[in-house]
Amino acid sequence: MPLRNQSRLSLAFLVLALAVFAYGCSGKRPPALATSAPGEEGSPTAGRTAPAPVEPIEEGPDVRPIEGEGASGSDIPGGALAGEGGPLADIRFELDSAALTDEARTILEKHALWLQGQRELRVIVEGHCDERGTVEYNLALGEQRARAVRDYLASLGVAAARLKVVSYGKERPLDPGSDEAAMARNRRAHFNVR
Amino acid sequence: MSRPHSVWPGGVLSGCVVVAALVSLAASSPQEPAPVEQIVIGGVTPRFAVPECVPHTADPASQAACRTITQVLRADLRFEGLFQFVPESLMNAIPPLDPLAPRFDDWKGIGAKILVATQAQIVSNELQVEVRVYFVDSGQPMLQRRYSGKTDNPRSFAHQASDDIMTLTQYKGVARTRIAFVSDRDATKERPSKELYIVDYDGFNPRRVTVNASLNILPAWRPDGAALAYVSYRQGTPLVYLAKIFEGQSVANLSGERGDSSAFSPTFSPDGKSLAFASNRSGSMDVWVSSAEGAQPRRLTTTGAKDTAPCFSPTGQEIAFTSDRTGTPQLWQMDSEGLNVRRLTVGSGNYNDGCAWNPAKQYSEIAYTARLEAGGFDIAIIDLATRQVRQITQGRGSCEYPSWAPNGRHLVFSCARNRRWELTIADRDGRSFQTLATGPGNNVQPDWGP
Repeated sequence: MPLRNQSRLSLAFLVLALAVFAYGCSGKRPPALATSAPGEEGSPTAGRTAPAPVEPIEEGPDVRPIEGEGASGSDIPGGALAGEGGPLADIRFELDSAALTDEARTILEKHALWLQGQRELRVIVEGHCDERGTVEYNLALGEQRARAVRDYLASLGVAAARLKVVSYGKERPLDPGSDEAAMARNRRAHFNVR
Repeated sequence: MSRPHSVWPGGVLSGCVVVAALVSLAASSPQEPAPVEQIVIGGVTPRFAVPECVPHTADPASQAACRTITQVLRADLRFEGLFQFVPESLMNAIPPLDPLAPRFDDWKGIGAKILVATQAQIVSNELQVEVRVYFVDSGQPMLQRRYSGKTDNPRSFAHQASDDIMTLTQYKGVARTRIAFVSDRDATKERPSKELYIVDYDGFNPRRVTVNASLNILPAWRPDGAALAYVSYRQGTPLVYLAKIFEGQSVANLSGERGDSSAFSPTFSPDGKSLAFASNRSGSMDVWVSSAEGAQPRRLTTTGAKDTAPCFSPTGQEIAFTSDRTGTPQLWQMDSEGLNVRRLTVGSGNYNDGCAWNPAKQYSEIAYTARLEAGGFDIAIIDLATRQVRQITQGRGSCEYPSWAPNGRHLVFSCARNRRWELTIADRDGRSFQTLATGPGNNVQPDWGP
């Protein structure tokens, strides 16, 4: 019977959704910082060399959860509303530049309109770079790119308080490739909607 | 050994290894043997003989410990780049060493100036090692030490012995130093994380520091070796954290960012009292300085340009940093109050970043990452007196992010070859290179610690 099949399907979907939810939750354990004692379980070199005889450096608890610091959304790239095809498409940049191109401005004007219709949404503007620069300068460049996007959106009437700037430098490329096309995709401002 | 937590193996030794000078003839003898450095200054590098460690007892455990100690001690002394060594083939040609009564004529005969005799044994689950360093010409012992401790890492005994032998020179040894770095080795498809790790200077004993599955980057040792400042995205915004590595605890937002501002590139002053970092809290990326705990933040750069990546001079009185105020990223220098600003890199490429000031005062120079040719980056060093630039890496793939060994004689940096990043060490002349096998993944952003 079609109806029963459908409900079975929905049930399966529900189970799957719960599983995904549970997985997601388990992935959101509060992060923590710990010192691995040398040669401890899971030490990457176990077997290669004997562990160092570390004497009681008082080890704190392995886990020290920091309140409310569950893995933030910005750690998981993409989101239904962002990226290619979504209402908040990435903004591309020229090499070693944080200047908004005409094309970028046109896209941002559409983004601003859309955001004004979604006043409950807050947006993290991520600035990214291609792999060609150095680590530290790219972090500054990514920050400048994200700030340029935020400032332009704010000038178009999106409340600045809804927009947060985060630079990833070259630490989170969208495309792992190293050809021109990949690097062009990586020089971007990405929107993360909360 | 005055700083109990200074180094991991050091912590070991201060905690459970008894270091005893058996005899200090070198100090009390009327005919004081010449310290090694005098030979160095005399123009001839001293020729070391480091024969096989002699096990006190013939049990397999003692023999195995001895083998490791020989191998690691030789590698440590060789790494320092100060000595020549008698080849093994020659040492095999003379009668085996009697560590307590060496036949010095034999050793003289094969050209040895300095003889390093080691003995080891495992007694009731304790490794005991004795090291005697003899001046071959006079037969005088220069150094005699006994170490004892847990049996599970003989490498740390060799490292300690190497550093003790280095006290006979004008340089501090690096055998017990460690390097902090960033790796994606524990990343998964769902969590493209980067974590901090610590490894012995020779690439052994990698240990994971952060376990938060976020992005953790830009580690910087606190000079006491007990903590690392770094940048983490675990709260969404990149902020400076302090990892107390022996306590497994972290301090969040060390630089005191408020609202949505971010901070990058933390670095401690050599005395450990100040923290310099880059922050965008004023609306643009600037270099700031605060106390090591983040108190009294002061903005040092005030241009609207991107000012970032600070590094302290050995005295702590000067700070170099990267700025694109003239259009391209270049190294600049200012005093620690932000005054007397001048450009350092002129005419050596259009992209220079990531300064690392040589911590040894006798070398007035700064290493950095330079795009000298189209395509990739190389490590370069600028001499601060002459402004001469020497290129350290060439044709090793793209290399970046240099950091000095505490004695200023070696550099560690990261190079990409075939799209994989690995830590690489070079001497300050750029003559010898070695890739550190620290483990899988991309290994980047090294910071050489105490």
